[in-house]
Amino acid sequence: MEPIPKKGTPERQRLIDAHKACMDSMKGVAGNSVLLCETPGDTTVVTGGVHADPVLKRVLLRMRGESPKGKLIVICTRVDAEWRIARLSGIRGVPPEFVGDKVYTDEQEIQHDIFLMRLDELSDSYGFPEDYHEGWKRKDDNWPIT
Amino acid sequence: MTTMRLTGYADKFGVHPGDTIQFYVNCDGPSEYKVEIVQMINGDTNPRGPGYIDKPVEAAVNGSYQGRKQVIHGGSYAYVPDAKPFHVESFTLQCWIWPTAPKTHPRYWKHGPQGLVTKWSNECGYGLFINEEGCLELRINEHRITTGVPLRDHAWHFCAATFDAATGAVTLIHEPQVVYALDPEIAPVEASLKVAIAHAPVPVALGAYVERLAPEDPLAASSKPAGVVFAGKYNGKLDSPRICNRALSRAEIEMMKAGAQPGLTERRNAGPTGKLSECIVAAWNFSVGIDTLTCKDEGPYRFDASLVNCPNRGMTGYNWSGQNFDWKHAPQEYGAISFHDDDVDDARWTSDFAWVVPETGVKSRFYAAKLTTSEGDEEFIPFWVVPRVGQETAKIAVMVPTISYMAYANEHVACNAGGAELFVYRVPIMQQQNMFLSEHREYGGSIYDTHTDGTGISISSRLRPILSIRPKYDHFLAQAPWQYPADLHLIYWLETMGYDYDVFTDEDITYDGLARIENYNVIITGSHPEHNSGTQLDALHNYTQRGGRLMYMGADAWYWVHSYHPGYEDKGRGVVTEMRRCESGIRTWRADPGEYYHQSTGELGGMWRFRGRYLHSVAGVGMSSEGFDVSSYFSRTPDSLDQRVAWAFEGIDYDEKLGNFGLVGGGAAGLELDIVDTMLGSPPHTLTVATSAGRHTEAYLLVMEDFGFNQQGLDGTTHPRVRGDIAYHETPNGGACFAFSSIAYCGSLPWNNCDNNISRLTKNVLDRFSMDGPLPAPPDSAFKHRGRADYDPTPMEHRSRKERGEPLPA
Repeated sequence: MEPIPKKGTPERQRLIDAHKACMDSMKGVAGNSVLLCETPGDTTVVTGGVHADPVLKRVLLRMRGESPKGKLIVICTRVDAEWRIARLSGIRGVPPEFVGDKVYTDEQEIQHDIFLMRLDELSDSYGFPEDYHEGWKRKDDNWPIT
Repeated sequence: MTTMRLTGYADKFGVHPGDTIQFYVNCDGPSEYKVEIVQMINGDTNPRGPGYIDKPVEAAVNGSYQGRKQVIHGGSYAYVPDAKPFHVESFTLQCWIWPTAPKTHPRYWKHGPQGLVTKWSNECGYGLFINEEGCLELRINEHRITTGVPLRDHAWHFCAATFDAATGAVTLIHEPQVVYALDPEIAPVEASLKVAIAHAPVPVALGAYVERLAPEDPLAASSKPAGVVFAGKYNGKLDSPRICNRALSRAEIEMMKAGAQPGLTERRNAGPTGKLSECIVAAWNFSVGIDTLTCKDEGPYRFDASLVNCPNRGMTGYNWSGQNFDWKHAPQEYGAISFHDDDVDDARWTSDFAWVVPETGVKSRFYAAKLTTSEGDEEFIPFWVVPRVGQETAKIAVMVPTISYMAYANEHVACNAGGAELFVYRVPIMQQQNMFLSEHREYGGSIYDTHTDGTGISISSRLRPILSIRPKYDHFLAQAPWQYPADLHLIYWLETMGYDYDVFTDEDITYDGLARIENYNVIITGSHPEHNSGTQLDALHNYTQRGGRLMYMGADAWYWVHSYHPGYEDKGRGVVTEMRRCESGIRTWRADPGEYYHQSTGELGGMWRFRGRYLHSVAGVGMSSEGFDVSSYFSRTPDSLDQRVAWAFEGIDYDEKLGNFGLVGGGAAGLELDIVDTMLGSPPHTLTVATSAGRHTEAYLLVMEDFGFNQQGLDGTTHPRVRGDIAYHETPNGGACFAFSSIAYCGSLPWNNCDNNISRLTKNVLDRFSMDGPLPAPPDSAFKHRGRADYDPTPMEHRSRKERGEPLPA
């Protein structure tokens, strides 16, 4: 199990820098991956990112596997123009709620801000025995199935 | 962001010239809206592409209309109109239940009591319920009697209640079918109520109760029967509901579990006794008429119940033995109906306007009713003008994958499933349509979703607003257009390149068979025709075998078995489609044991592959991997130089990167990818003319039906089958198939105003395939015996580019 790197550590900063570089290089692509475009906005050659950094890959997978309740998500508020961060309710019929007022004008940059928020929000013991609870027996084990 | 105050649908997907198409609109707020019929050209708003394009159509129906609110009465149930035998003084109610959400979160969209067997409304009448606390509850007028014991979810329980008006004695029975070691005993609840049942003039409801009679209410207007608002929609299975008109003994209740068996003689049936038969009001047997919308009553009054919003039938009952897996072979074990509070089969709105499509002057194309308001609201209701069989107007036809559009209709995966992010490999982006649907569950979900109670959705209706079949809609899977708006990339290309073409839908080919397509020289598919009926695949097979040409423009096609429900044929073709996710394949949910057979036709659901109809046998390739982060490009292989196919690459250099650009993932090879596999149905003479091997990210994973053992190394950075193969093969009588093998492929067509090598390749193929008469015969040398697995690796033509000394350029 890959722990979430603690605040202030060089490893955490390394992940942040790598993620930011990937998101910047993906601007303009009709899609997104935490990989580095050799030519910005062009996926002909993509390297680095999760392909080169196993810690970054595993931390991202842990984040992506979070259960729906309270999970951060992107809402497009103006088609191909504006995006905002929101949280899923985890309850059927209750829509996501916006988090903060920041409006993004790029669909890749917002991915990086969510990465930063999750680094702060996820506990470093997450997924270890000290986090075990009754829900682990009932499909509420922080790894949602589809 | 704007909320969606305009939503709508039409009564048809495909409409013939001279026919009328009805439109149904919800305009919730603005006093009026404007209607314009438009031809749809491009739906993608990506600034790197041509942008949204439509073309106005002169139509008598264009104009302003008064807005009105229309709502959907969602959730499934069955009802029987009110009748005197239901006006009992005493009663026994009994049924088996398998509740899936007996207790819900206080903020859950339909938090509250759930009706099981009810003849109750507004504190009048009687009925069995699950109360807000998840416990079995009997209601008699305003009185509530409960066990106070929570019903275990996803488990069978026998429930019964008796009331003797003469003595006031009430009994409520809750007996779990399986009792675990530490379960407390649940004793029958005894009570006394000296009341007379007040009977309201409301229907009997199974899986719901009548909230009110409200003929003027928009919600009641869309209900069935109209004017009656049903509430308390039950989530779970219901089996063998009975109503008797006196308080039965425990032994008689046991006997009634077997139901009514009319006409008892010395030679037939086992009961119930004559005396017990005298008190039966209704005894429904859900195992009869599974492919219908009627629940048969075997009691004396024939109170057959009408099903509303198409709950699931062919569901295993409380007595399923696990020996038979097909409801047709053991119907008596399939007496359960699975109800859901978000089922919807028909919005049942009132028509707002209709357009009589002129006999002439309106080409067969993609169209939409474009609705706008002065306050900035916008909505599109897509439809297609389809020529009648025998009145085709072009040599080229586009097969619009409407079954696939229905399968993805109103998809909720980004919102429902936290795991969605694991397969898209980034944080999903929800559009305003997704936000609206996350709150309006009554619009129903897609066949990719689970119901609000968590069970899989296997039914999809087109008689409801489908907000995913819209332009200006990027799908979270692709962060780009998907399905309908992605297919508009192809339409934009056909229009820009000046081709004349017809369109038809999956419905048309399913019902018309070969007649629908045999007069065209070439059929072009959409980008992702994943969901198909059997007769559609039959027609395509017959077509290509008789000299027809097929251009398969995408990937992951011919994958899932679909059936149109015959219970809706009075409303048109292809109104409701069904698909069960069975033993393998990419499944966002999995059907339960014994529930693999479609309720609509009785055919086995799941993948066509496991029905012996390999994907690769239809157009030469089949799905091998999927990933949703970014796309890549193709490189030509030596097969592309073969004179059988070299014509397709005229004007394209051997070492060009094919499609390292595009509006879907940034490349032509992406999202879902097909490969050639002669062991899985690709004809042995198939030529693989280009491949994207080795270029995909770790987000791309091998499909699970291609491996039997979990293992590392299944992603695009390591597994050789994670690739797309563009392929060509000839069919008899001068026919052929060209498969482009990537969902993202069409997203590259519009790039640089359609001036690019993907556009060139596609044009070369379409120009040849659309010619009259058989295609030129392959050279004599092409005719030879070929194995499936067996081949000789020694000849030069069977070796790789590297072995030939011609590695790909960097």
